Amino acid sequence: MPDEQKPEGSPAPSEGGGSEAQQAKPPAPATPKPVPPKPAAPPAPKPPAVMMATPWTAPLAEDLKARFGDAIKDTSTYVGQNFVVTTPEAAIPVMEYLKVEADFDYLVDVTAVDWPKRPERFDLVYILYSFARNERVRIKTYIKDGDKPKTAVGVHLTANWLEREVFDMFGIEFDGHPDLRRILMPDEWEGHPLRKDYSILKQDQRWVRENLAIESGQ
Amino acid sequence: MPDSTFLDSTELVLNMGPQHPSTHGVLRVILKLDGEKVLGTDCVLGYLHRGVEKIAENRTYAQFNPYVDRMDYVAAISNGLGYCLAVEKLLNAEVPARAQAVRVILTELNRVASHLLWLGTHALDIGAITPLFYCMREREAALTIFEKYCGARLTTHAFRIGGLQYETYEGFEQECKDFCDMFLPKVDEYEELLTANRIWMARLQGVGVLSAEECKEYGVTGPVLRAAGEKWDLRKAQPYSGYEKYDFDIPTCQNGDTYDRYMIRMQEMRQAVRIIRQAVDALPAGPIMGKVGKVIKPPVGEAYVSIEAPKGELGYYIVSDGSTQPYRVRVRPPSFVNLQALDRMIRGGLVADVVAIIGTLDIVLGEVDR
Amino acid sequence: MGSLLRKIFLVDLFQGLGVTFRNQNPKYICTEQYPAERPRIAERYRGAPRLNRNPENGETLCIACNLCALACPETLIVVTSERNEQTKRKDLTNFTYDTSRCMFCGLCEDACPVDALELTQDFEMASYTREGQVWDRQALEEGPRPKQYKC
Repeated sequence: MPDEQKPEGSPAPSEGGGSEAQQAKPPAPATPKPVPPKPAAPPAPKPPAVMMATPWTAPLAEDLKARFGDAIKDTSTYVGQNFVVTTPEAAIPVMEYLKVEADFDYLVDVTAVDWPKRPERFDLVYILYSFARNERVRIKTYIKDGDKPKTAVGVHLTANWLEREVFDMFGIEFDGHPDLRRILMPDEWEGHPLRKDYSILKQDQRWVRENLAIESGQ
Repeated sequence: MPDSTFLDSTELVLNMGPQHPSTHGVLRVILKLDGEKVLGTDCVLGYLHRGVEKIAENRTYAQFNPYVDRMDYVAAISNGLGYCLAVEKLLNAEVPARAQAVRVILTELNRVASHLLWLGTHALDIGAITPLFYCMREREAALTIFEKYCGARLTTHAFRIGGLQYETYEGFEQECKDFCDMFLPKVDEYEELLTANRIWMARLQGVGVLSAEECKEYGVTGPVLRAAGEKWDLRKAQPYSGYEKYDFDIPTCQNGDTYDRYMIRMQEMRQAVRIIRQAVDALPAGPIMGKVGKVIKPPVGEAYVSIEAPKGELGYYIVSDGSTQPYRVRVRPPSFVNLQALDRMIRGGLVADVVAIIGTLDIVLGEVDR
Repeated sequence: MGSLLRKIFLVDLFQGLGVTFRNQNPKYICTEQYPAERPRIAERYRGAPRLNRNPENGETLCIACNLCALACPETLIVVTSERNEQTKRKDLTNFTYDTSRCMFCGLCEDACPVDALELTQDFEMASYTREGQVWDRQALEEGPRPKQYKC
C-alpha cells in the first residue's frame, strides 16, 4: 500500500476490496490471501488501511523536488525510513543524481512488489545507502505490467544481478540491461514465481516433466 | 611467440561445479580459460532455490521465522535476528533489554561459528588440512551452547518476534565465558598455523584484489569491504539490538586481497569474543518477551532493516498489508550480492585462484539461492 | 656413535609412539561409540514429537484445541476430535504428525496450552518407508514402532 497518500487519482490499491478495474486475470488467489486460521479476528474495519507515512522534508528531499520537479511524485518517511516516489522515467536520473551529488554510492537492493489490482501493477524499489551520510533512501516507482524500465546497471554495477532476479521473479524486463537472463529459476522455466497470481503450488509442468522425468516436484 | 606455429591454444570453457567441493555448495562457475588464465566467468545459480520469498507470502509472520534459518544455515541466528528486527520495526515493538543482550551474545557466538567454518574450509581449499579439524572442534563448543539454549544446533529458530522464547539455561553465562577463555588462545593457534605460513601467503597475497570503490560499486559488504579499507560495520554505523552499548573495534586492512580478508575475519572473531564478554558481564535481568500479542499483525507499511551478518549486510524488506501474513518479504542476501564481484576478482587470475577467491567471499549457497 | 645407537635402539620410533600413546588417554577420546554409548542430548533438544498422557490415569492431555495445527508452518499436524455430549468437551480421536516434513522449529510445542505435544530428546526417527514417517496418535503416545526389516 505504498502509495496511498497521494491525493491525485493514484492507484489506491485498497486492501480489502479490490476497487480498480481488474483486468481479466484468471481467478487466481491474487490478492489478500485467504488468511487462514485466525482466532479472534477483529471485526475488520472496512476502510482500506493505508501506510501512515509522513512527509519527508529534509534538505535532500527539497533539493530533489527542486531539481526534478514533477518527476518526484512524493517524498515521505515511514518508521524513520525515507523514500522517494518518482515517475518511472526519473528513477535512474534521480539515482544518478543521488550518487554523484549526494554520495549515495551504494545500491543496496533492487526489488519489486506485485499489486495485481492496481493499474500500475508493480512497485519497483531501489534501496540506496550513503557511506558518507550514513543514511538510507528508497526510490520507488510504479510501473505497468509490460513496461520496460531503464536499467540501473549504468549507475551501479551491482544492479546487474539484482535486476536479473527481479526479471526472473516478476517478469519485469529492464531496458538496456547487458545480460537479462533468468538467474535463480532454470532458463526455460515459464512463469514468474513471485507474481501474486502464481500460486505457491504452481510449477512449470512441462519443464519438470522434461527435465526431471517426474510428474511433480511436490 | 607466433602461436600458429605451435599448438594452437584456443579458449577453453571449463565447468566448475555444481558439485565441485571447493564451491561450498551447488554453485556452478563456467570459466573461460586461456591456458591457466581466466578470461571470464559466468555463475549459474539456483540449484538450491527454494523460493523462500514466496513461502513468506503464504505464512504468518511467526510461521516464517524458522524458514529464514535455512538461508544462511551457517549463521542461522543472524538470519533470525534480522527477520525479527524487521518485523519488530513494522510493529514498532520494544524488545526488553535482557532479550537484546541474549540476542547479541548468541549472534556473536554465531559469527564466531560462521567464521570458523569459513576458516576451516577456506584453508582446506588452499591445501591446509589441519585448521579444519581445529576449527570444527571449537565450533562444536559454540554449537553446544546453541543446542543447550534452544534445542537445535544449526537451524536454531532461537529468536521470536518481540523477544525470545527461551530463557537462558542455568550456567549459560559461565559457559559463554568459558568459551571466550578457551577460544581466544585458539585464534592465536590458528594464526600460528597460517598467518606467516609461506604457502598460505603465497597463495593469498595479491589474489582477488577488490578496492573499496569497486566494493561499493558492486555492493559488496562485510569483511570484504573492510579488507579494502572502508571502516564500515552496520553494528557501529546503525546500531541495532543494543550494539551501541558494547565497546569493540572494526578491524580494517588496506590491500583488499584475499590475505587481508583472512586477517579481517581473524580479528573479527577476537572482537566478537570481546562483545560476548561485555554482554555476558552486563546481562540485565528482566522479561525476555516484549508486548507483541499472540497474533502478529503489523499495520500497513513497509520497512527495510539490515544487520551485519557474518557475510555482510543482510537486509529484510518487508511490506505489510495489515494482515497476519507478510505481503512481500524481500531478503537482501549478502552472499548473493558479494558473489557478483567474483567475475571482477577472478578475471586475469589463475584457475587455482578461483578456489581461493570463492573461499574468501564466504558464500553460503543456501543464501545465494534462497 | 650416538646416532648409531639411536638408530639401533629405535629411539626416534619410540619417541614418536610416545606421542601417539600419550594421546590415547581416555580423556582425550571424543569418538562416541554410538549406539552402544548414547550421546548426551541437551535438555531442550527438539526431536521426535510425543503426545503426553496423564501419568495417573493414562488419559491424553490433549484437549484437541487445534492450536498446534494452526501454528505449524508446514501444516503437517492434523487433529481430529469429536464432541463428547456428557462433558461438553472435545475428545481427541486421532492426531497425525508427518515427521517427514517437520523441521523441528518447536512452534507447535510453544503453542500447546496444556503441554500435551512435546518435542522430546529422542532423535532416532528413521523409517523404511515414507508412510512410516507419518505418526498417528498411537505412535505419538507410545513412541514409534519401527518395522523389522527382513532381507
